Amino acid sequence: MNLIQVLIESLRSMAANRLRTALTMLGIVIGIASVVLLLAIGDSMQRFIGKELQMLGTNMLYVMPGGDRTAGQRAREGKVAALTLDDAEALNALPSLTGAAPALQGSFKLSAGNETLNSTVSGVTPAMFAIRNWQLAQGTMFGEADIRASARLVVIGQKVADQFFYRLDPLGRYLRIENVAFQVIGVLAGEGRQIDGTDLSELVLVPITAASANLVKTPFPQNVHYVAAQGRPDVALPDAIADIEDVLRSRHRIRLDDPDDFRIQNLSTFAETANKISAGVALLLGLIGAISLLVGGIGIMNIMLVSVTERTREIGIRMAIGARPGDVLLQFLAEAVVICLAGGLVGIAIAAAGAALITRLADFEVYLTLSAVIVACGFSTVVGIFFGFYPARRASRLLPVDCLRYE
Amino acid sequence: MSEAAVNALIDIRGVSKSYLSGSVETPVLHGVDLRVERGDFVSIMGQSGSGKSTLMNILGCLDQASGGAYLLDGADTRTLDRAQLAAIRNRSIGFVFQSFNLIKRMSVAENVALPLIYAGIGRARAHARAVAELERVGLGEFARRTPSQLSGGQQQRVAIARALVTDAPLLLADEPTGNLDTHTSDDIMTGFQALNRERGITIVLVTHEADVAAYSRRLVRLKDGQVMYDGPAVEGLRQLAASHASRDGARP
Repeated sequence: MNLIQVLIESLRSMAANRLRTALTMLGIVIGIASVVLLLAIGDSMQRFIGKELQMLGTNMLYVMPGGDRTAGQRAREGKVAALTLDDAEALNALPSLTGAAPALQGSFKLSAGNETLNSTVSGVTPAMFAIRNWQLAQGTMFGEADIRASARLVVIGQKVADQFFYRLDPLGRYLRIENVAFQVIGVLAGEGRQIDGTDLSELVLVPITAASANLVKTPFPQNVHYVAAQGRPDVALPDAIADIEDVLRSRHRIRLDDPDDFRIQNLSTFAETANKISAGVALLLGLIGAISLLVGGIGIMNIMLVSVTERTREIGIRMAIGARPGDVLLQFLAEAVVICLAGGLVGIAIAAAGAALITRLADFEVYLTLSAVIVACGFSTVVGIFFGFYPARRASRLLPVDCLRYE
Repeated sequence: MSEAAVNALIDIRGVSKSYLSGSVETPVLHGVDLRVERGDFVSIMGQSGSGKSTLMNILGCLDQASGGAYLLDGADTRTLDRAQLAAIRNRSIGFVFQSFNLIKRMSVAENVALPLIYAGIGRARAHARAVAELERVGLGEFARRTPSQLSGGQQQRVAIARALVTDAPLLLADEPTGNLDTHTSDDIMTGFQALNRERGITIVLVTHEADVAAYSRRLVRLKDGQVMYDGPAVEGLRQLAASHASRDGARP
């Protein structure tokens, strides 16, 4: 008996009991759908994190004012922790860094024409563009001369451009930030949420000096909110971090036993955290999938046992006309595998729909990879063989004379 | 091995069979000897419990004897495993049952083709041979129907086509007319006679009806698991009728 014949008979037998087959499949469908979806989400997360890291630039470090202690504790000790433009300048000169760029950040009211929007505005220097690898879709970025002149210029993300200057050329137009007019000189290329929570297309970037003079309005115009630094690729990151600590501790005159008054955040730890979260999600979905597959497999075994009992007489007839025990085994095994595979295909379709839904609702691109589909088909087959074997073996061991006597 | 032994298609020597029901062993056959030559047409008669169905199952390799030897076409069936027995059922034996035993989900042609499929013949060739066999029993036009769309007599002819499709030399029929009316029974039995005469097929059938047994050449009567009579059908049936008459006559 060849395989095609076995498959035809399996499909026919499934078609004879449509409802039962469908219900039997359900566990497998759910199991495979969650397994495939988990693989897709895991893959997508890996891809997303990889892309993010590439976009952020490698070896990114954030230096922030304030150490492990709270502002209150520091105030009691009579110390004010701050990072200044000069600190950034000193870090920028470090040989173990490709660069260090200071930044100010705040939420301000943007307006142009009738449009008004509250958004985060960052005051940066040209060095930040280099470190973060920001590219311009049109226009130019501001230069060192603009920084020195506190020029009221702004570079905006594409979403911001669309919002305020829909279908217009934004270059040369004015965007009002807290009612101060900033002239648009550039639009950033790219979009998408980045690992540090910012979205390229939502960025509003002004010269750090202009931000300090017109927006943040602090009594300490030298202070910055953070310094972004990038370690040299040929220098081990911990060494670069040690260099930064040395420079800042000496500049801030921190005594040997006193703690730092700044924090250095390594962005690769972000990536590690994100990886851990995605692994957790994958594990959860995998567990659901595994349990569903187990329950579904037991369902398959149960139904196959019922089917063997129901078709005892048919088994007897087949044996009488020449079916070998192996033929009977193969027939029932094939039926279990076909049910599982069909359930697997439905599960894959559901997972594909789920992935499309996540992509649409969650602003996070998920799609099924070929490997996920192959793994799912393999899983279905294994479940079918594993749980179909016992009933099929039972059928194959029946004696023809007993089967033919069975009513 | 003697000349006669080579010629015998069925050679049963001292076959016994007992079933275990719980811890009690119930003997059904006690040392049955039976030789059937090629081309013979044998009826096995006996009352319920005489062991005729058990004998038939052993002859058909559906069941194995507890004791004694069964040589089918010279091959000792005791030495064969289940797969080899299946191959013998497939190639050497055709079965016809009282309840037709067709597979309801399959078309008539697929039912007939099934033994060929198990013999490893491709679908297309198996189907062609099945249709040809159906035409020989006069049911060529019903090939695409399902068994339930056919009458009892037609279904039994489909079963006969299925039994013959592998060119098996031996046809075993267990009460083949048990579910059929007299007229249809006559048709089936005439068909058996033709198969025996024209195609030289050896037929062994089990029946409890003298009318059916009358179509055969030889009669074997079983009682309580032993052979009571083994000889020409005409003579055996005459004796049977006489014993019935005397028993009836003895009644007041």
